[in-house]
Amino acid sequence: MTSPTDTALAPPDAPADSASASASAEGEEGAAQPFGLGSSPLRTDALPKALGIYPFAADLWAEGLLWGAVLRSPHPHARIVAIDTAAALAIPGVHAVVTAADLPNPGEGDAGAPGPGTDRPVLAAGVVRHHGEPIAAVAADHPDTARLAAASIVVEYELMEALTDPEQAFNAPPLHPDGNLFRHLPLRSGDPEVVGEVIVEGLYQVGRQDPAPIGAEAGLAVPRPDGGVELHLSSTDPHGDRERTAACLGLERDRVRLVVTGVPGATADREDLSFQVTLALLALRTGRPVKMTLTREESFQAHATRHPALLRYRHHADAQGKLVKVEAQILLDGGAYADVSSEALAAATAFSVGPYICPNVFVDAWAVRTNNPPAGRMRGEGALQTCFAYESQLDQLAARIGVEPLEIRRRNVLATGDAMPTGQAVTCPAPVAALLDAVAASPLPALPVDEPDTDWLLPGGPGGAGDPAAVRRGIGYAVGMVHMLGAEGEDEVSTATVRVSGDHATVICAAVDSGQGFATLARQIVQSVLGVSEVYVAPVDSDQTIAGPSARGRHTWVSGGAVERAALMVRHQLLQPIAANFGMSVELLSIADGKITSYDGVLGMPVTEALEGKELWATAQCRPHPTEPLDEAGQGDAFVSIAFCAMRAVVDVDIELGAVRVVDVTVAQDVGRALNPGQIEDRIEAGVAQGVGLALLEDLRTSGGLLVNPSLTGYRLPTALDTPEVRIAALLEERDVVATFGAKAVSAVPAVVAPAAIAAAVRAATGLPVGRLPIQPEDAVVA
Amino acid sequence: MLPTSLDEAVEALAASPAAVPVAGGTDLMEAVNAGRLRPAALIGLGRITELRGWRYEDGGTAVLGAGLTLARMDRPDFAALIPALADAARTAGPPQTRNVGTLGGNIATAAPAGDTLPVLAALEASVTLARPGATREVPVSHLLTGLDPMRPGELLTWVRVPLLNAPQVFLKATGRSGPSRATASVALVLDPARRAVRCAVGAVAPVPLRPLEAEAWVAGCIDWDARGEEGVPAIDPAASAAFGEYVATACVPDGYGADAASGLAVEGPTAVALRLRRTVAVLARRALGRALK
Ligand SMILES: Cc1cc2nc3c(=O)[nH]c(=O)nc-3n(C[C@H](O)[C@H](O)[C@H](O)COP(=O)(O)OP(=O)(O)OC[C@H]3O[C@@H](n4cnc5c(N)ncnc54)[C@H](O)[C@@H]3O)c2cc1C
Repeated sequence: MTSPTDTALAPPDAPADSASASASAEGEEGAAQPFGLGSSPLRTDALPKALGIYPFAADLWAEGLLWGAVLRSPHPHARIVAIDTAAALAIPGVHAVVTAADLPNPGEGDAGAPGPGTDRPVLAAGVVRHHGEPIAAVAADHPDTARLAAASIVVEYELMEALTDPEQAFNAPPLHPDGNLFRHLPLRSGDPEVVGEVIVEGLYQVGRQDPAPIGAEAGLAVPRPDGGVELHLSSTDPHGDRERTAACLGLERDRVRLVVTGVPGATADREDLSFQVTLALLALRTGRPVKMTLTREESFQAHATRHPALLRYRHHADAQGKLVKVEAQILLDGGAYADVSSEALAAATAFSVGPYICPNVFVDAWAVRTNNPPAGRMRGEGALQTCFAYESQLDQLAARIGVEPLEIRRRNVLATGDAMPTGQAVTCPAPVAALLDAVAASPLPALPVDEPDTDWLLPGGPGGAGDPAAVRRGIGYAVGMVHMLGAEGEDEVSTATVRVSGDHATVICAAVDSGQGFATLARQIVQSVLGVSEVYVAPVDSDQTIAGPSARGRHTWVSGGAVERAALMVRHQLLQPIAANFGMSVELLSIADGKITSYDGVLGMPVTEALEGKELWATAQCRPHPTEPLDEAGQGDAFVSIAFCAMRAVVDVDIELGAVRVVDVTVAQDVGRALNPGQIEDRIEAGVAQGVGLALLEDLRTSGGLLVNPSLTGYRLPTALDTPEVRIAALLEERDVVATFGAKAVSAVPAVVAPAAIAAAVRAATGLPVGRLPIQPEDAVVA
Repeated sequence: MLPTSLDEAVEALAASPAAVPVAGGTDLMEAVNAGRLRPAALIGLGRITELRGWRYEDGGTAVLGAGLTLARMDRPDFAALIPALADAARTAGPPQTRNVGTLGGNIATAAPAGDTLPVLAALEASVTLARPGATREVPVSHLLTGLDPMRPGELLTWVRVPLLNAPQVFLKATGRSGPSRATASVALVLDPARRAVRCAVGAVAPVPLRPLEAEAWVAGCIDWDARGEEGVPAIDPAASAAFGEYVATACVPDGYGADAASGLAVEGPTAVALRLRRTVAVLARRALGRALK
């Protein structure tokens, strides 16, 4: 298939000069919206969301709808002996009660639907494997009736011992026919006998972060006259979800339509398969539209979390601190079902050393099954956990050798052309040293020494118990990396259609804008290529051609590539007759400032004039170069490209109470090309905020497999007062020549690096080792 | 039901004992939404203007309406009157809830982490409970400990707080910088007329705890005459630190956080107890330091 290199070449003069383009757009249209690539137009849903008028999936309504509710397991591990639905069915207003027995294909085992989670039943049949696992569902004419009925279903359980310690998973009896080991990935590179002059060891722990989407799961299913069903919900993978839902329902895929609506911003997959299939089944059973919204507690129980991790590291270095060997053991707790654990493990293993050169690397990594909440996709899965560990190791090494943390990193940084421990050469830009230099050169935030105490936002917050005399300031650095696009041979492809009629263009692409900004970017691409200012992005549904999931930082590349290619084809159709008219080739015409110009300046025609009365369209596909799986020694070209980021965190710690406040995070990021600088900054801020959460606050705790704090009171998200000033020291624009527009994915890598940088700063402030995330107050108390 | 006067509300509550009074609704509606509570009827207290302010009595007592909002208590006029209560109100949740959440609701909910509660305990405040034709006065501590609980059909109308005209402090340790529930809190008030210190620790037990012995001990360590004088420390820093430890040990038992069901005999304080004691000790020491500054 085509690689983007032969399609992604924008006309040399079209996209770059956004400033003048935006000026002209303003001049002609009187519109203040910036225009084209490189500018920073606002998301179209930004204002409605800020004003609270954006319709979320929970606001959906259909005449005569019924309400769905789910019965969930109160136990982390139990055999289901019997399910008695009679009492629930007897409640007036209840229209249907469904269990696994009602599903043509329950979704478990080989017969299950394709894609991640084939080992996960839609509704538990024989066994429940985690707290909150769905068992049955009800449709009733009132939400309260539905919940009451769900609670009236009698399930007879035979309790089984819950396996909650991932270290015990290897020897424990299998929790599932597929066993307890999702994957073991060994990495062997170099000489195992080498010993460094300096050796530092550490044990690191990462807790369970939840995506905690502000919009809880919600959706509406409408039965279709042809026996199929239409699902309206915030899916981030409409085609994959349609496929899996159809398979579980035993329907042909054309009978299931997924309409993406009300996406509240997602840092993980939405909505889970069980939710979709159950909702669809209820609609099919009752012949009525069915709406379901999860409570906050259910939402915590239902969706996948970040993988908790245990990482044991040993770094060997020479006397100057140059790495000679890294040994590591990495254990990811995948929870009850496989989901994307295998993929997360690949990232954890491949990036186990970080953006550093090390000739000898020996890693064993495992992802295991437990009776804890299932873990799945969440920004930088796998890469984040190891970043915390290897950066902590480098801090330790710096302290041991007696050099600054920045210096130890500079002595080891990776650059373009260097090999990773997987044997893959880094062919994309890897400006790690420049990123470090940029954050190091950025001025530090002032110490509030001259300000009155009352103006100083102390750790613990305003009106808290902070005491300036007990506050220590710490500065920490971290660098990290994450791959973009699917890894290890995953087929990456996206399709888009661009249509121009008269003065406006429409983009049809099934890439869901989950907050990453794809819809805005698609508009900018078409504006740049075609010079049309009014660009609409069509709502997404599964009748469109496939674009793949909103995950792994892929849509800018694959879907952006498809949109660009389609737009270029339309551009060709538009310019061909004009060029023919003037007896010149299309290549000699360019579109800029909303005008078509010939190379010699003779022709100058507004795009709108050329388009008058025309209807042009084209569909195109983008498929990046293939990758290969890691072999039994962890070797292989597994990744399409990698993004890097460096951060400097400044924290204030009340060393008596252990309260930490992140004062400032300064970021330098390798973006390839800044297609929308405003949006990139937003994504970096979002990543930092999520990183602050994991570093200091967010931990979905369990006790014996039972969720302890499934509420927004118990699960503490960072508030505006907890999130620091985020300053961008540099967005380094070294084009990744194989990527669409040379741009790299920007969302995941800040989330990967921020926790490590904050931990380093707390370490600097307290002199304590800081070996776990989130950092507990007692980890920051200096006795 | 939306009564506009106190009498009306008291009558309404007596007439329909199954009805539940609702003030700001910030605790109540959360329970309703979560399905934990299904009130047969609601009696809204929001229109009873007389309960939304305060008045003075006998010169030395402020009588606060149960409908006083947490946001109102944070304003300078109130803060000058009862500073610790203003401090507690200021940190009790985000502005949206403090704008409607009330003092009466905070007391009636009696949550372990209720922020006004340790302050009211340290101030030895009392509440007025009303039913048609009768009222009774109950110390806040008796109400909270269940010694003299609120009876069905009673409405909490007034909160009586002695005015001490002396420094008082409320300090709260939380898990984040933004609004959050207390993991521990300390209210400390000076009563110079009696040369007394009164202190209550919140959030570490179902009700605020008073470390009476520590209070009495520290009152004896304070140089009451030097208090407020420039450059003269009113207390030896070592005594201040010892007070913190004293309060912490008194309020956090050795077995704190131990699994009661495990049945194992507790040997020495648990790790959780030690951590919480440390926090309480720091809060108590800092609170005393600020009060004596
Ligand atoms: C997001 C959030 C954060 C919060 N954070 C904090 C915090 O940090 N600290 C804290 O202390 N609280 C916090 N709260 C709890 C709550 O805001 C306070 O407890 C508030 O004071 C309750 O007052 P209200 O008027 O809203 O009570 P309501 O919800 O109206 O009533 C609560 C209970 O008291 C009863 N009641 C109310 N008034 C009377 C009366 N006059 N007589 C008899 N019974 C009465 C009601 O019947 C009900 O049972 C928080 C709440 C939310 C939603």
